[in-house]
Amino acid sequence: MDRLRRRMGRAVTFAILSIVGLVMLFPFGVMALLAFRSFDQYIAGSGFSLESWQILFATIPVIQQLINSTVVTAGAVAIIVVVSTTGGYAFAKLGFRGSSVVLLGVLAGMMVPLQSIIIPEFVNVSQAGLINQFLGAIVVYAALGAPFATYLMTTYFRGVPNELIEASLMDGASFWQIFIRVMLPMGVPAIVTVAVLQVIQIWDDLLVGLLFLQTPNVRTITVGLATLQTSRMVNVPALMAGSLVSALPAIVVYLIFQRHLVRGLTMGIGR
Amino acid sequence: MNQAPPLARPAAPAAFRRRSGPSRLRASQRRAGVLFALPIVILELVLLGLPVAQAFYYSLTNWDGLTATWVGVGNYQRLFGDPTFWQIVGNNLLLLASIPVAILIPLLVAYLLNERVTGWRFFRSAYFLPTAISWVVIGMVAIRVFANQGILNSVLAPFGLHVDMLSHEFTAMLAVIITFIWSVFGTNTIIFVTGMATLDRDIYDAARVDGAGAVATFWRITIPMLMRFIQFAFILTLITAFTALFSLIFVMTGGGPGYATTTLEFYVYQQGFTVGVFGYAAAIGIVLFAVVFAISIAQIRIFRSRLD
Repeated sequence: MDRLRRRMGRAVTFAILSIVGLVMLFPFGVMALLAFRSFDQYIAGSGFSLESWQILFATIPVIQQLINSTVVTAGAVAIIVVVSTTGGYAFAKLGFRGSSVVLLGVLAGMMVPLQSIIIPEFVNVSQAGLINQFLGAIVVYAALGAPFATYLMTTYFRGVPNELIEASLMDGASFWQIFIRVMLPMGVPAIVTVAVLQVIQIWDDLLVGLLFLQTPNVRTITVGLATLQTSRMVNVPALMAGSLVSALPAIVVYLIFQRHLVRGLTMGIGR
Repeated sequence: MNQAPPLARPAAPAAFRRRSGPSRLRASQRRAGVLFALPIVILELVLLGLPVAQAFYYSLTNWDGLTATWVGVGNYQRLFGDPTFWQIVGNNLLLLASIPVAILIPLLVAYLLNERVTGWRFFRSAYFLPTAISWVVIGMVAIRVFANQGILNSVLAPFGLHVDMLSHEFTAMLAVIITFIWSVFGTNTIIFVTGMATLDRDIYDAARVDGAGAVATFWRITIPMLMRFIQFAFILTLITAFTALFSLIFVMTGGGPGYATTTLEFYVYQQGFTVGVFGYAAAIGIVLFAVVFAISIAQIRIFRSRLD
């Protein structure tokens, strides 16, 4: 009797979890389904067509914008990895007079909402002549992502045993050599976490791209898609095709590096 | 950016220090420390610190991007006297009011996930998937759900019901809130699953032996023991609600109808880049900054007091 009740309980649990799963995945199913219909088939509610993709490719430079997204994301993540690993090494292991205050200042950057500084940032970048240049968006993304990345790297590097550094110093290694030969190899798991978190965040961002990359040929795919929607494009299948193509790269990254994303989140909780 | 400040500050300074040895080496270590810290410091000073200072300064001027005349607290006076501003603050309060729901549903689901029924790993991945999807795509799909001829209405049709949610003020905000709760569901669930994994399973067995039912265990044991994680999720969700919904609103409603779905962060964009009053928009940005800063400080204090 008791066993039967427990089994029933587990069946109910499974049913509830399945319904929740359906609610979470259903929208993506709809997106994928509608992306492969013509407009008439969308109205009729059935059929398969690639017409939406032709319309999408004719309306925005999809391939170009995917390349733009890749360039911007890769550039910003590269900068973030460099400054957060060197910074993490400095704050966690080297230290200097006032280094803990400087670290606190960098971490305070996490509290600044982008919207609060977006206007002076925009004016500064445009005065530097970097509007519609990838470099402008790249450095802004890098500055926004680096504080959290530095927090993760500093925390992680504090766990590297001092004996390792001491031994390398005895062998006559310089602090630079220690960084390259000891810290970076030890830091790989945290570096991957930092990179994955930032890739998804930057790929998915709208506001920075919208303001700093304004012409269709330099826009990222996420911005291209958003402008498609607001330009009163009414072809729903084409909009869904655009959504699918912009979401896929991030979904692939998610599926491969899920574990690291979860770790990035839980590292934020602290120990 | 969708990041809450971390709960714990990095552990007490554990910098590598040589106790003995030539002071030349210690000096060179400090020099190396400065050099290695330089890239992050320069990057943040130029692209974060400088604009923060400028935002404060220009919020006291009638800046248009080129020329700025000092107006003192004029922008703030105008802002606080503006009924639209208070309507927008009201929208932010609606978002705040929705957060308990955005916490409770994931808590319940995490509790069920923690029973580790068949396929729980798959469910966990499925729930977390929206984390990888941009707000733009989520907004696109949400329009299809809530539109006049949308999915929701085709579900309601057999019951003779019809709602045109995006065209009416209150229901449009409700649609944004539902989409928001749906989007943060996965993140919060993962936080709580992580938290439950830290709980001692013996407590549950003991409770069961004492004859406590599932409901009693949930309210009396799970929730109190997870308080740290609940607070973290609360802050993360709140900061997401106040600073990360720009793209969703931009795509889904454009802030309308009227100002019904305009939040503080969206108002900054609107006043700055649609209306073009940079000084006024900077003042709104400073108000937002103050709100987020207060939340972060409250969070740090809560956790500090719990740790002491």
